[in-house]
Amino acid sequence: MTNLDHGKFSRVTTVFHSLLALTVFLLFFTGYAVAFNAELWWLVELMGGNTGVLAVHRIAGFALIFLTAFWVFYMVLRAGGSVSLTEVLPTPGDIAAFVQDLKFAAGLAEERHPNARQFAGYSADEIPLLSYVGKGVIAIFTVELLLLMISGLLIWQKTMLIDFYNTQSVVIAFVAFHGSLGVIMVMGIMFHTFEHGFHPAFYPVEMKAFLPKSDTPEYHGEAEAGSATGIERLRLKPSWGWVTNVMGVLTIIGVVSILITSMDYGGYPISETLVFGEGSLLRTVGVNIGVLVLFIGLFLSMYGNVLRARYMRQRRQEDRSTTTATDGGTDD
Amino acid sequence: MSDTDPEIGGDDAPNHDAADGHDESDGGNRGLSDRTAFWTSAVLALALAVGSVWLVGVRAIQFEALQRVRPTVEGGGVGTGWIQGNTEPILDWLITLVHLADVLMGVFILVMIFIHWIAFRRLGARMRAPDAPRRSDAVATDGGEKE
Repeated sequence: MTNLDHGKFSRVTTVFHSLLALTVFLLFFTGYAVAFNAELWWLVELMGGNTGVLAVHRIAGFALIFLTAFWVFYMVLRAGGSVSLTEVLPTPGDIAAFVQDLKFAAGLAEERHPNARQFAGYSADEIPLLSYVGKGVIAIFTVELLLLMISGLLIWQKTMLIDFYNTQSVVIAFVAFHGSLGVIMVMGIMFHTFEHGFHPAFYPVEMKAFLPKSDTPEYHGEAEAGSATGIERLRLKPSWGWVTNVMGVLTIIGVVSILITSMDYGGYPISETLVFGEGSLLRTVGVNIGVLVLFIGLFLSMYGNVLRARYMRQRRQEDRSTTTATDGGTDD
Repeated sequence: MSDTDPEIGGDDAPNHDAADGHDESDGGNRGLSDRTAFWTSAVLALALAVGSVWLVGVRAIQFEALQRVRPTVEGGGVGTGWIQGNTEPILDWLITLVHLADVLMGVFILVMIFIHWIAFRRLGARMRAPDAPRRSDAVATDGGEKE
């Protein structure tokens, strides 16, 4: 187990986060297998063929509506109250944190802003609950999910739209809108995977989304002089360097490919004549790399839960050994 | 239509008395005279008849206007629905907007990836090398021994 930051998620949040991840990845795989069919035909075959793939998409869509509705109700109705809205809304500090991150990347700043910290090292009350990226993720997710659910429900039964507009071709506009909207989400999740999987102190996965706050050990040692975070004490994993570089390259290729492909297809207005898509080898490779990055994200979401299970088992074993031997057994 | 009472044999006076007596005996009568009831019924019946036929009429297909081959989209000829559904200005505009948002967000996300990639490399450079010797004060929650 790597050292852990201060915990952030409650137990319900960790479970919700994992289920949301599973649902959203399913929606990506099924939805874009249909939208980018020329590049991802194999995914369609994998997920139930032409008839099955959208059934899976609809089931996942239903699950997403249920999950998010449950989450909102739970946050509002919970006795203890929810995370206050002020902790979610962006502040001037968040803009400063973004600017300082730019400077930090350019070598003009020594440290990252407290509002940008993934690895804190300070005491818990000096670090905001959400980094500026976290707040951005929540804001974008809120708007995106709402619009995706509404447009998705509208094209669930296409006869409703046909009846309303009194024309059939208008449905394609809503389908195209729904698909183009999802592109922001796909790109965002790719970044989210990179951001929380490849921080050198947390590699291969940041545990604060998987291990509930109540189970997170908090290390309150004295920071060394000249050190703000204590990151200097940590040892890098041997594979971190090359894996992070490979993932960075794959993530960028994936984002660019999916963006360009979605712009290229457009989808509306419908072409006047039959179009025989020649396909492009480069684009096919790029879009599939994007799907690979998403799959790595899904894998890391699962791996975080595996690590939590291992860690909890290890702690149970330690509890048993300390009750039998009070002189402090050494590590194996 | 004549202005006389509609009742059969409505010319004799006793009949009016009988009608008044009828008022007292029939608890369901709300006190409308026969004449008022007659005209009210006529107006209501006419409204219902005209309304129902009108309702059916406006919902019916006008075969004269159906599937005509006309040279223009405005004329509403064959294939018009496809063209109209395919050139809905509001939807066209919305999709252009989403594409624009895709590009803006895409560029921003790429910037964020690069920033984090570089920041991670900087942070990684501050950490201890994988082959560095173990130190007692390394952050470890399992209480490693001093070496």
